[in-house]
Amino acid sequence: MAKLKLDHVTKRYDDQGEVVTAVDDMNLDIDHGEFICFVGPSGCGKSTTMETIAGLTIPTEGTVHIGDRDVTNLPPKDRGIAMVFQNIALFPHMDVYDNISFGLRLRDYPQDEIDRRVERAADIVQLEGMLGRMPEEMSGGQRQRVAIARAIVREPDVFLMDEPLANLDAKLKVHMRTELQRLHKELDTTIIYVTHDQEEAMTLSDRIAVLNSGSLQQIDPPLTCYNEPDNLFVAGFIGSPSMNFVEGTVEADAIETKNFSLDFDPSSAEGIGVGDSVTIGVRPEDIYPGELREEVADASALIEARTDILEPMGDEIFAYMLLGKGETSMSQEQATNDQLLMSIDPDSDIEEDEDIQVVVDRAKVHLFDTESGEAITHTLAPAWNSDGVAESEAESDD
Amino acid sequence: MATATDNESESRGPLARWTQSAIQNPERVYRALFYVAMAFFLVTTLFPFYWLLVLAVTPSGRLLAGSFLPSINLFGVSTTFPLPVPKGFNPQAFITVFEQVPFHLYMLNSFALAVTTTVIVIVVASLAGYVFGRLRFPGRVFLMLGILAISYFPPAAFVIPLFQAFAGNAPITLPFTDVPLFTPPRLLNTPGSMVLPFSALFMPLSIFILTTFYGQIPDGLEDAARVEGTTRLGALFRVIMPLSAPGVATAAVLTFISVYNEYFFSSIMATSPEAARWSPIVGGILSYQTQYTTQYNLMAAASIVGVLPVVILVIVAQERIVSGLTSGALKE
Repeated sequence: MAKLKLDHVTKRYDDQGEVVTAVDDMNLDIDHGEFICFVGPSGCGKSTTMETIAGLTIPTEGTVHIGDRDVTNLPPKDRGIAMVFQNIALFPHMDVYDNISFGLRLRDYPQDEIDRRVERAADIVQLEGMLGRMPEEMSGGQRQRVAIARAIVREPDVFLMDEPLANLDAKLKVHMRTELQRLHKELDTTIIYVTHDQEEAMTLSDRIAVLNSGSLQQIDPPLTCYNEPDNLFVAGFIGSPSMNFVEGTVEADAIETKNFSLDFDPSSAEGIGVGDSVTIGVRPEDIYPGELREEVADASALIEARTDILEPMGDEIFAYMLLGKGETSMSQEQATNDQLLMSIDPDSDIEEDEDIQVVVDRAKVHLFDTESGEAITHTLAPAWNSDGVAESEAESDD
Repeated sequence: MATATDNESESRGPLARWTQSAIQNPERVYRALFYVAMAFFLVTTLFPFYWLLVLAVTPSGRLLAGSFLPSINLFGVSTTFPLPVPKGFNPQAFITVFEQVPFHLYMLNSFALAVTTTVIVIVVASLAGYVFGRLRFPGRVFLMLGILAISYFPPAAFVIPLFQAFAGNAPITLPFTDVPLFTPPRLLNTPGSMVLPFSALFMPLSIFILTTFYGQIPDGLEDAARVEGTTRLGALFRVIMPLSAPGVATAAVLTFISVYNEYFFSSIMATSPEAARWSPIVGGILSYQTQYTTQYNLMAAASIVGVLPVVILVIVAQERIVSGLTSGALKE
């Protein structure tokens, strides 16, 4: 049983006299057989964390345990891990068979055992009949599969995948994604997967670890990250298009923003009082045109808006709306406060540059502390109205 | 417009017209320059060989009599032919070289010294090249500069202290004191006294070549090898070196040729030009010169025989050397 445990792992680099903290006090507990995705923007430390687990980097502080062993100072070869690299990293001077069997040959496995395992790995990733080819004669997807075969052939305790699909085209990416899921089912090993693509993370993983500037923001199942983000960063990072954020202030019975107000009882949530500045977070799919107000279980008051840009996606339309009588504001900060993105039914009758009224589903409104970014509550609906919440969830599912 | 240009070009002299066409078609000029440079290069490099061949096949009795430039009678006008030709034909010299002196043993000496030095240089320079090319550490540039500086030292500067040390007569002392450190073994007349200085002298060039090559191998490949089960050293010898084959071949061939041709150190470290004392090819060639005679034809024949292995090596390794010296880039 290969559990993986990172304990207060910190990695600092000395960049020409300037200390850069790539990973900041990371604590992770990963169970055997879990599929964990590390997501985050570029430079958030996810690859460094991965390298720390692989042993390619030694952490400045903290320990790494794989199974019951402390592997913090072990070289990569003694950690029982296998890795798939972003740039695939097949050895160009070896054919597919030699690439896949490289690790086995180094460990002096008997020849028939090597043959058996290579064949099985090639079978799993559907590379039969290509064992004699050189990497340069293969397509990107085939090379990727060789890299995966090279990793699985050693039957490692932990699989590390560092953006393995980043260099593939969109169609192949989706195909390889399902193959990876099948692989995970078949192998039953722990997989740690680094990606900056939150869609990949949502579809693949048992749990998502969201990283930002070197520290762990949240590690939870995908839907928990989506529905109950711990802070502003997670809320904005998970979900595409991302959540609408509007800054506001808590009043006695409402949250006032520049352009609208939402009914709210401050006593229904903990750690919040009148006068606090908060950030409201609403996902595009929780905003509805005013005429659907009756169908939304816990609708807010009507909000005046003006449509700006429409993006028909086929199964839905993304409608960018300007608040505050459509004055186009230039500064970034104002833009977030004056803009709402709504996702609506593709059959909706909606035009660009049209004055409309919208409502938000109060049961799905997130509140964050503007200062710290921490989540305060994930619904504005009072707790006793939980029936209504369930109902509105069912309705908004369409 | 077109007629105006025509008139203009007609009104110019031939030189002006040639200049004009050279500017419009620079490829032709480049090509011509290429041939000129190539011809010059070929003549200067190949003529000495031709001259050696002429000397080698000329019978020894006729070497010093008369001119190598034959006079020819051209339509009643007597003139000298500008290219030297052999005065007679005596291929026997190529056999005599082995009869008078055990020249094959001298060749073997040079060959053994060159191979040993090359192996040492490639192994050590690979380690240095790996460190300089792939690791970042404080003082890296400084160390590189140090190696560069040492490579500019004249080898003669090392000869006297090294000779003294390799003689093994007196202990090495701390500089400026009489405190003895250790007494080195007597290495004179052994391969050790030559391989050691050769390795040190030819190391910097190989380090620079290998640093460039090893530095270009993508990090991912080394990481992959290490995750797959090699150590850093294992990754160097199993992945980085095979992928840098052109660079390794270049460094090896350059080192081999340099040592094979070396005379300065070996003539001093071998106290007399005897094959048993590890004297190299040049020592053998000079053995055809005695106090009273100099057998130029045998020396020439021996030179040709001695140079053959290098010619073969270069022809075989040429493609790799050229690609190694010029490109050096490796795509992942």
